[in-house]
Amino acid sequence: MMSRLLPVVSHTSIIILAVLAMSYSLPAGFDKVFGQQIGNPLLFFSPLQKRFIYRESLGGHRFNYLNEEGVRFDRPEFEAQLPFLYYKNLEKKNMLPVTVQGRVFNKQAIKADKQGLEIKSRHLDGHHVQVELYPLFNNDPEVAIMPFPEDVFRFTDQTMEFINADFNRVEQELTDRFTSALRENGFDFPATVIGGKTTNLKPFDEGYFIRDNRGQVFHLKRVLNEPVVVKTPIDPGLDILDIILSENRRKEFYGTIITRQGEIYLISYDNYRLISLPVEQYRPAAMDFKLMINPLFKTAVTSNTVSVYGAATDGSFAPLRSFELVRRDPNPRIIRISRDLLFPFQIRFTNPHREQADLQLQPGGLWSVVGILIATGLLLLHSRKKGQGAPAIGELALVLVTGLYGLLAITFVARV
Amino acid sequence: MISSLLLKEWLKLKWFFFAVLLLNLGACTSIFFDIRQQIHAEHAEMVWYQAIHIKTIMYDDIRFFPLFAGLTLALSQFIPEMQGRRMRIALHLPTGRNRMLLLCLLTGMFLYSVVCLLDGGSVYLIQRLYFPQEVALSSISTMAPWFIAGLLAYFCTITVLLETTWSRRIFLFMAFSVLVAMLYQGSGYGWFIPALGFLSLLIPLGLLCVFESGRRFQQLGA
Repeated sequence: MMSRLLPVVSHTSIIILAVLAMSYSLPAGFDKVFGQQIGNPLLFFSPLQKRFIYRESLGGHRFNYLNEEGVRFDRPEFEAQLPFLYYKNLEKKNMLPVTVQGRVFNKQAIKADKQGLEIKSRHLDGHHVQVELYPLFNNDPEVAIMPFPEDVFRFTDQTMEFINADFNRVEQELTDRFTSALRENGFDFPATVIGGKTTNLKPFDEGYFIRDNRGQVFHLKRVLNEPVVVKTPIDPGLDILDIILSENRRKEFYGTIITRQGEIYLISYDNYRLISLPVEQYRPAAMDFKLMINPLFKTAVTSNTVSVYGAATDGSFAPLRSFELVRRDPNPRIIRISRDLLFPFQIRFTNPHREQADLQLQPGGLWSVVGILIATGLLLLHSRKKGQGAPAIGELALVLVTGLYGLLAITFVARV
Repeated sequence: MISSLLLKEWLKLKWFFFAVLLLNLGACTSIFFDIRQQIHAEHAEMVWYQAIHIKTIMYDDIRFFPLFAGLTLALSQFIPEMQGRRMRIALHLPTGRNRMLLLCLLTGMFLYSVVCLLDGGSVYLIQRLYFPQEVALSSISTMAPWFIAGLLAYFCTITVLLETTWSRRIFLFMAFSVLVAMLYQGSGYGWFIPALGFLSLLIPLGLLCVFESGRRFQQLGA
């Protein structure tokens, strides 16, 4: 039985591996040769026009500068519509100070009230592999630069454990002190979300926001090597996916909470009050998020591979205007059709929204069905030419499922 | 019969195996001294930061060593069999083609496993010496696709060597090269973790390919 089965199984293995290799490499090779890639469109809210304005790449150094109604600008005109963004260029052209809504803004005023933050989907919790060991910076008012601590911490089921890097062993005293402080404040181990900025390239340190086993969010800092724990009033019912801190001298908010349902909240310095952002289309699994703050407006921009959505708000985050910009596909129609005709599906591991392998079997478009029929026709012709009559059922099924890949596999590794 | 076959394989492989083992041992030793020096030269917490948050792979030098081991073992085991078509003699033994091939493959796989154990074990222990447990464990999942690549290269090289026609050899060589290259994608530690189950399936598929080429070698070429 085994000796009869083995030739069939081993031949099938060769075919499977050949189809895998082709479906992984041929579409990628096609894209490399014929595909065109362009930069992401940049969408802003113009404080002068009170509407969205964008720069769209046409490939190379060619760009379209448009507003949401399709009015075109040249580059200097475009920059002039965004004085809070291009203020350094405007200053060189002696176009500062600028008056917007009856208020006069010079370089210092713009700079002092400007903030930007960007959260890529691939950096969110669960979208990349992360060893869960974090540095907790020591806040010491007498030290000008922020040195890296000599230890990292991890959360176990019962403790917040510190490990000393010099000796690669647990620092029991520090562990006990921080664990006790957390427990005294009602922390229920283990931690379920840990959010903090692990770099010292920031103006000051706000430590970590940590969600406990009951959903309560705690703010933890290390001040002169002592724990400072605050149990925040943030709703424990929030289904938090990630907390991203963004220390900024404006001190308006600590950072951002992103929920699994796609809500985005800023954690304000006003007793941790949450500020909801108007981002109805946001899906954290496959969208990036940007927040641009200038002295008058705050604009949330979310984007996926199809569209870029802008939501402008006033200074207190009240929605003013929204706009959807559909991305331009730079590939000519003939290239897209040819790709679908040739390749019925593609295997890939990369995903722009993941920083880890994401195995996907991506089917082609409608033209792939035509491609499969052509491949099947070629198989029938090939069999007739060789005087075999109809092809074997297995070969026919293979080509009907895998199109060109199956046809090539049969051609080169026929069962002889 | 079995012990004679195993002895034949061992005699073909032993010097190449020891050379590969020595080379891998040298690579692991070099990694140990590199990490030790870095820890001593820089602040340990900065090296930890690089390893944990910048995702620098401290043992990246060993990336292609398992692949080299798989290729060397396959070539040293089957090139002598192809010279003067000596394989024909073995095919006339009363053991049976598939059983004989399986024994050859098991010998090569065993020796390849020793190399992987040396690499995996050494890198884990070196990491454990200087980094927390989590970092050391992540090295295993990071190296797993490299080990699979070496084993796949072992099977694929034998399959291509046993093939009887050049068109088929070239096609298989290209297809298998793509699969092996696929296993070196990604950056940082543990990139392939979500797909390790799928990648593991390549091992039995690669193993089975050898029997198809073996059948063709006997029926068409021997």
